[in-house]
Amino acid sequence: MKQVIALEVNGERHEIAVQPSATLLQVLREELDLLGTKQACDAGGCGCCTVLLDGRAVYSCMVFAMSAQDKKITTIEGLPKDGKLDPLQEAFIQAGAVQCGYCTSGMIMAAKEFLTSARAPSDPEIRQAISGNLCRCTGYHKTVDAIRMAASGR
Amino acid sequence: MGISGVREFCRPQSARDVVDLLAKHGDRAVLLAGGTFLHGLFARGLGSGVEVLVDLQKAGLSYVKAANGGLALGAMTTFRELAESEAVQKTAEFAAIRDALQYPPAQIRNQATVGGCVASASSLFDLPVALLALDGSVKSLGPRGPRETTLAKFFVDYFEHSLEKGEFLTEVLLPKLPPRSASAFLKLETNSNDLALVNVAVRITLDQAGLCRDARVVIGGGVGKAPVRAVSCEAVLKGQRPSRTLFESAAQEVSSDIQPVSDHRASGQYRRAVAKVYLRRALLRAAERLGVEIA
Repeated sequence: MKQVIALEVNGERHEIAVQPSATLLQVLREELDLLGTKQACDAGGCGCCTVLLDGRAVYSCMVFAMSAQDKKITTIEGLPKDGKLDPLQEAFIQAGAVQCGYCTSGMIMAAKEFLTSARAPSDPEIRQAISGNLCRCTGYHKTVDAIRMAASGR
Repeated sequence: MGISGVREFCRPQSARDVVDLLAKHGDRAVLLAGGTFLHGLFARGLGSGVEVLVDLQKAGLSYVKAANGGLALGAMTTFRELAESEAVQKTAEFAAIRDALQYPPAQIRNQATVGGCVASASSLFDLPVALLALDGSVKSLGPRGPRETTLAKFFVDYFEHSLEKGEFLTEVLLPKLPPRSASAFLKLETNSNDLALVNVAVRITLDQAGLCRDARVVIGGGVGKAPVRAVSCEAVLKGQRPSRTLFESAAQEVSSDIQPVSDHRASGQYRRAVAKVYLRRALLRAAERLGVEIA
């Protein structure tokens, strides 16, 4: 039976009726139409569904929507400010870090948390930070370039 | 398929409330900690009998605190919180935990919990191997009150622990270790989000003369139905002065302690070979942490 809960997504409060077994990923995509967060493995193995919960990167396929109540949820749609892309999004474009694009929002969300604390990170540190995200196109080089660019551009 | 039968989601506010919910719902209820293991099971179509999910997030079990000279780790403490605690970051004795928590990606570190990881009783997980090498025990709460079980007795079989129905894990306790103790953990994995092919944790304690007064050697991954304490290796170490030769002979002994499985990820023979190498390296790492010159 569905239950009505409140979720704070990208600074906006939503009241949504959800199944108690629904994942946060399902609710973001199917109820809130936030399709930037991708579903791929749906089992915590690929990182495409990464969002921030209270600023921490998590796999939204492994979080029940019910557990995300009273937390601040940030998806890729929440990154641009005042109509301007986030510096990380800009860096991904500049570096050409996107091929098919399916992993990109998850990569950016993982990098977003990483760059809140990392200062001038080394390449191995960047690689470690995105080790929970799979990309089957780029070979990761340009992704690492993009995150390094975003880190140095601040 | 999966958990479509779930009709209720509870968020109890205390450990006592959790016990009441377990008494009320019995086998129909499943406890939810970080969820990373549980979602993995559900994604594989398991969980069809589950009607009630009990989320432990609000039950007041997130903490790392000093207890009896050692540490008490609340069941809902995330890997990240544990890794960032001072005892784990700074001491040689708890360094095996630090090592073990460096392997998973940020998303898992932010989400997975100490209690969820231990209570899963998976023979392939990392943290339990480190906690076993530190002589950890488990505190649980049930209808008859709290009790403590050593981790060695807690892990019974594949995905099976020794708690009774109605009980649940509230805390992991780590005892105070003697001075001049250090630990280390190493894991072989095929990618950063992989379960161990083999993992090892060691702890050594030296006496005033620099001889090995006590040792713990634990091997996990596909080497048994639960992590295995390698008592033959420990026997080789005890009373001896740490050296490369000693660590090599201890590592060779591991063959008599483990029965590695062969599966699609690795052959038993390969796991056995890797266990020896990783054991030697982990012993060297622990010795380095004690500042010992290794001949």
